[in-house]
Amino acid sequence: MTLSEGKVRLKTGAKRASLTLLQAAAICLLAWLAHALVLYLALPVPGGVVGLGVLLALLSLKWVPEKALQAGAAWLLGDLLLFFIPPVISVIQYEAMIEQYGARMLGFLVAGSVTVLLGTGWVVDKAFKFERGLHLARAGGRL
Amino acid sequence: MSHTSLALLSLVITLMGYYGAKRLYSRLGYWWAAPILLAPLLIIAAVLLLDIPLPSYFEYTHFLVLLLGPATIAFALPIYRERALIRRYPITLTLGVMAGLLLGLVSSWGLVKLFALPPEIGHSVLVRSVSTPFAMEATTAFGGVPELTAMVVLMTGVVGMLLCGPLFRFGRVRSSLARGVALGASAHGAGAAKAREYGEEEAVVASLTMIFTGIAMVLGAPVFALFLV
Repeated sequence: MTLSEGKVRLKTGAKRASLTLLQAAAICLLAWLAHALVLYLALPVPGGVVGLGVLLALLSLKWVPEKALQAGAAWLLGDLLLFFIPPVISVIQYEAMIEQYGARMLGFLVAGSVTVLLGTGWVVDKAFKFERGLHLARAGGRL
Repeated sequence: MSHTSLALLSLVITLMGYYGAKRLYSRLGYWWAAPILLAPLLIIAAVLLLDIPLPSYFEYTHFLVLLLGPATIAFALPIYRERALIRRYPITLTLGVMAGLLLGLVSSWGLVKLFALPPEIGHSVLVRSVSTPFAMEATTAFGGVPELTAMVVLMTGVVGMLLCGPLFRFGRVRSSLARGVALGASAHGAGAAKAREYGEEEAVVASLTMIFTGIAMVLGAPVFALFLV
């Protein structure tokens, strides 16, 4: 890689990063507006869900193009784990409680996950066969 | 240590721990190197080794948590992008989301009793199978502790990721929709990442399910709390 190539690559990288940040900031602004609206109207629904609904409506009406927020949204969702690391780390302060109940909590988590994975999988398998049957029947009717 | 250096140090170890684990996982691919597991462990080790007081650590990194709100809104984009799939399987997805949400809530409630967990933990774990931004919002309706909730949600993700393979074989869960919905409903973000190993359709279905169960949990939490707390 020559020096000028490196410069170009750095430039496009910086450009992409600033675009991502700008889009993420726009989403933050929307979050803040939705939060303010919920407070103002004393809605029983949290701001995040209201904002999600508003943004979905804006996208569906094509008032906001998908491309305008794509990079920012991808970053916010791709690095979701980073945003809840602080509360996870703060769990050290419950050390005594976790030492006492840790084994039971693990049993709880395993049993719960087995129930949800198997139960949901079973329900969806049945529902999927039914709905695929509907599609096939509809397609058959058209022929 | 001064406030500024503590604040900088807290932020630097958090970012390094997270992005370091992420890079390591993309290079190595071992399950134990998954950022969901390795990043918190690395950062806890650093906090303890450097003797950073926990309240200061939380104070200086707490602004990251505020980004969970905008992240909730960002979920509008994947919903919009996958609208064709939603229109194709409305019954399957609706039933799957409902089954996943109710099974998650009811199994948590019953298992809290079975394992005799104290109320402080019991109230924090009811939302364990939905994605963090939604879980952190909903847990207050059940009287849960946000920090405990964050940890339990994270561990649920890890457990679901590890269990799904053998369980799908044992339970003969074969269709891509069933695998995707089950992973999204039980293990949220970690499940959606795992679903990508099965295929693109599984991954899309898992993220959609994760988003819809999250929304349903947040909206329904005040009502569910009447019955379960």
